[in-house]
Amino acid sequence: MFEAIFEFLFKYRPLVFEQGDFAIRAPWAIALAAAVAAGALTLRTYGRVRGNSRPLDRGVLAAIRLGAIAVVAFCLLQPVVVLSSVVPQQNFLGVLVDDSRSMQIADRDETERLRFVEDRLRAGGDLRTALEERFALRFFGFSTETDRLGDLDELTYRGTRTQLGQALERAHEELTGVPLSGLVVVTDGADNADGGLGESLLPIQAAGIPVFTVGLGRETFDRDIQLSRVETPRRVLRGAALVVDAVVTHRGYRGETVTVQVEDEGRIVGTEEVELGGAGEPRTVRLRFTAAEEGPRLFTFRVSPRPGEMVTQNNVRDALILVENHSEKVLYFEGEPRFEVKFLRRAVADDENLHVSILQRTAENKFMRLDVEDADDLVGGFPTTRAELYRYSGLVLGSIEANYFTPDQLRMIADFVNDRGGGLMMLGSQRSFAEGGYAGTPVADVLPVVLDERGADGEEDFFVEVAVETTRAGATHAATQIAETEELSVDRWSELPPITIVNPITEVKPAATALLTSAADDLVVLAFQRYGAGKSLAFPVQDSWMWQMHADIAVDDMTHETFWRRMLRWLVDGVPDQVTVELPADQVEPGESVTILATVGDANFEEINNSAVIASVTHPDGDFTDRRMEWTAEADGEYRATFIAPTEGFYEVRVEALSGDELIGEDVTYLQVAPSDAEYYDSTMRTALLDRIAEETGGRRYTPETVDSLADDVQFVGGGVTVVEERDLWDMPALLLLLGTLVLGEWGYRRFRGLA
Amino acid sequence: MRPLRGGPIAVLVALSVAMLAVPASRPAARGAVPEGLGEAPPPAAALHAASAQRGAFDPRALLDRRRGTLRRPARPHEFYFTRAIYSSGWGWNRWAIDYPKADQQFMTIVNRLIEIDASEFENAIRLDDPELRKYPFLYALEVGDIALGPAEIEGLRNYLLAGGFLVIDDFWGSWQWAHFEQQIRRVFPEHPIVDIPLDHPIFNAVYRIDEILQVPAIGNFWGGRTWEQDGYEAHARGIFDEQGRLMVVINWNTDLGDAWEWAERPEYPLKFSTFAVEMGINFIVYAMSH
Repeated sequence: MFEAIFEFLFKYRPLVFEQGDFAIRAPWAIALAAAVAAGALTLRTYGRVRGNSRPLDRGVLAAIRLGAIAVVAFCLLQPVVVLSSVVPQQNFLGVLVDDSRSMQIADRDETERLRFVEDRLRAGGDLRTALEERFALRFFGFSTETDRLGDLDELTYRGTRTQLGQALERAHEELTGVPLSGLVVVTDGADNADGGLGESLLPIQAAGIPVFTVGLGRETFDRDIQLSRVETPRRVLRGAALVVDAVVTHRGYRGETVTVQVEDEGRIVGTEEVELGGAGEPRTVRLRFTAAEEGPRLFTFRVSPRPGEMVTQNNVRDALILVENHSEKVLYFEGEPRFEVKFLRRAVADDENLHVSILQRTAENKFMRLDVEDADDLVGGFPTTRAELYRYSGLVLGSIEANYFTPDQLRMIADFVNDRGGGLMMLGSQRSFAEGGYAGTPVADVLPVVLDERGADGEEDFFVEVAVETTRAGATHAATQIAETEELSVDRWSELPPITIVNPITEVKPAATALLTSAADDLVVLAFQRYGAGKSLAFPVQDSWMWQMHADIAVDDMTHETFWRRMLRWLVDGVPDQVTVELPADQVEPGESVTILATVGDANFEEINNSAVIASVTHPDGDFTDRRMEWTAEADGEYRATFIAPTEGFYEVRVEALSGDELIGEDVTYLQVAPSDAEYYDSTMRTALLDRIAEETGGRRYTPETVDSLADDVQFVGGGVTVVEERDLWDMPALLLLLGTLVLGEWGYRRFRGLA
Repeated sequence: MRPLRGGPIAVLVALSVAMLAVPASRPAARGAVPEGLGEAPPPAAALHAASAQRGAFDPRALLDRRRGTLRRPARPHEFYFTRAIYSSGWGWNRWAIDYPKADQQFMTIVNRLIEIDASEFENAIRLDDPELRKYPFLYALEVGDIALGPAEIEGLRNYLLAGGFLVIDDFWGSWQWAHFEQQIRRVFPEHPIVDIPLDHPIFNAVYRIDEILQVPAIGNFWGGRTWEQDGYEAHARGIFDEQGRLMVVINWNTDLGDAWEWAERPEYPLKFSTFAVEMGINFIVYAMSH
């Protein structure tokens, strides 16, 4: 609107004045002399006239007359704007058209974004014609890749990514060596490339090539729900109870309740409802489900589409989770016969993915071994070497005093968490925590709670019977979910019979999180912290078996079993093995390069840099390729290899590490190769990005409504073969209007004052 | 790891019991009452009091009180030697045979022999008392005339299914067996009673038991025999749950309790008291770990 008014008044669009230089064609001295003479004559005339006029009237009329003379004089000077204009048909113009799937979104009057291209840029379209009259056009289609097009009918709009930077680079390279007026990019701006755009723009800026962006689509949708983010672990134990956060955003559905569901390869395994807040306000939904089937499982998170949604493809997200079916080893060391042993064993007895070996002291230097792997396992008592202890993923210390251990064993337990990445849990008793003399030991550093140094004095026996309640963190934490839903779990905790505590722990360390407390006594009941590569838990309860045996608990109640299984599973969750393999993403596009990263350590989990590491990649069709992985030299024990995933499907990546002929260990992970749906997320037009490209290169941004001026703008802004062009300004309607206004103003003033 | 052998333990048992002979023989109601007893009446006593208020007189309540059952110390221990109070057909408190001396004496020995936080006091509780579920180890003897009421059957069944462990002792002969079997069938009609093989872990938990000895009551031993009625051969039988977990150990034709009670008497054979202590400790440690 502004531009149209401006052009009406000043004959040309603002761009012409921005790009051009002002000049006067007539001999300016003559014109100036004539103007001065006319001005002097005017002043002299009005200076002598008296009649019935006042001095003010004469001053006003003289000023109006002088103004009119000035306008005429300006016109007589023959003012012009001097422009550098490209020579028609002598220059090239690169036209880059978005070929991605987001171009199919119909967000403008139910019209697809691609209609702009089809209607106006195809042969015969008005914009195409206007451009072709001035430039030699070169077309490019871009999405994941950028391709030179013979014509725009080669576009398919099926690209799964928009690599805007790559497209600009490619077009620039392609058109190097020809007189290039500029690049026109027709896109919604939904760039989802991994790299930054800045580096791609640098050579274009250096070459002085303006980029004109044409933004398609809407900046905001009227009605849309999007599953913006889902955070899942990459691998879990079979039967693991997962608590996954999904973030839902929306526009146009404030106050409505939607259902988020998670499917395990088509079977619904969890649902949760969420009430939507204000437009654009993210809402986090906590989904609970169980990974029941082993192997690489594709879990689909879905928000049920609502009526009127503009884009429904962004309601779904996939996550590839490797559900492992091996048994994680936990060592439970108990210093005396305790019922915790019996009931903990019972709780995890049916869990095939937990192997809890018990070492229980029955008398001085006499031990009972239960559920050990073989006759020699733990035969010497508690492990005395790191290699022996590090075979376990988790370590539970019961009623065992610190003095039982040698200083090296205490250091070893701390290293078990810090270096090996294991999970340590200490249970409550008269021989644990401060009461067991752990204050000041390396183990105390690892524990998530503050130990009172006076605890071991034994001056006063502490004993309290407490009811347990969840903290805010405990209400949602995976380890403390003992019922189907968060609400039921919190309620269940509050219903459980009281347990007893003899370790007065009231404070967690700054980096630790309390999950269960006894609010009435201000005691910590369950807390954890990440420490080094692993984690530690404090559970200063000496009789959790009450949650199984108490008369208020039904005989078939599974709360106690559920608690211990989830607790121990969480304790060993993510504990690394000697050999681990990782991929940067669980899904890539067909043809994309994939980097495999592996870490290798010895039995003491010290990194090895000279191991022979082989990555075997099994393709969906059963073929496999071997890659020798090389030490990265960036980090100890880290190896890297790459491969191309050419076809869609699941790829298995198995890594083996050898020391000589001896196998150190192996690990496996999976990769899904499939077209990405990234185009549909945050798929509104990115005005800011398109503005940035235009501003940094000297171009302009357009919408379908303003794009008519594109051809003219490129002509004056663009580079290539140019000529200097002068455009007259004397006949601007604004000057005529001004002159007319002055003449009429003088006449009106005279009439008003009765002077004529 | 090799389990402990009986020889050295026998000496320890003898020494321990000899040191304890005098205090252990004192009535528990005198001089051994821990703190807090007067503040919180025992659940069984509370049950009897409620019963008396309803007008039903139960003479067992008087005996329960006199014997000072169900005392809770200020700081609970990990283990209580808990004795079952059950209804008897003959109207006599058969559950209280050897009580509390056997219980106290045995616990003192246990505390000295193994690394355990065990209460040295007796702890008797009724089968229909909800508090029973707080004590996962239970001992019952003289069950030859046990006469369980419906509440006792339900209480014992739920106790065992929840994870409790019951040791039966000191009943003899085929008649008493038949009666006991009939009663325990009312608790577990679905689970058979079977002999526990000697290679079962319970006979190897702490001490290695190679043979099931017949432990005589002290009176019978003085009479020159180890058996009673027609119970000539000692048996260790058990009831297992659906998962194969041992819930009940039945010591038939033997009297471990008398050996614990009279272990300090020089005339009582060391081999019987040693065997009884080893069996008892095995039962306890097994019950606390399996």
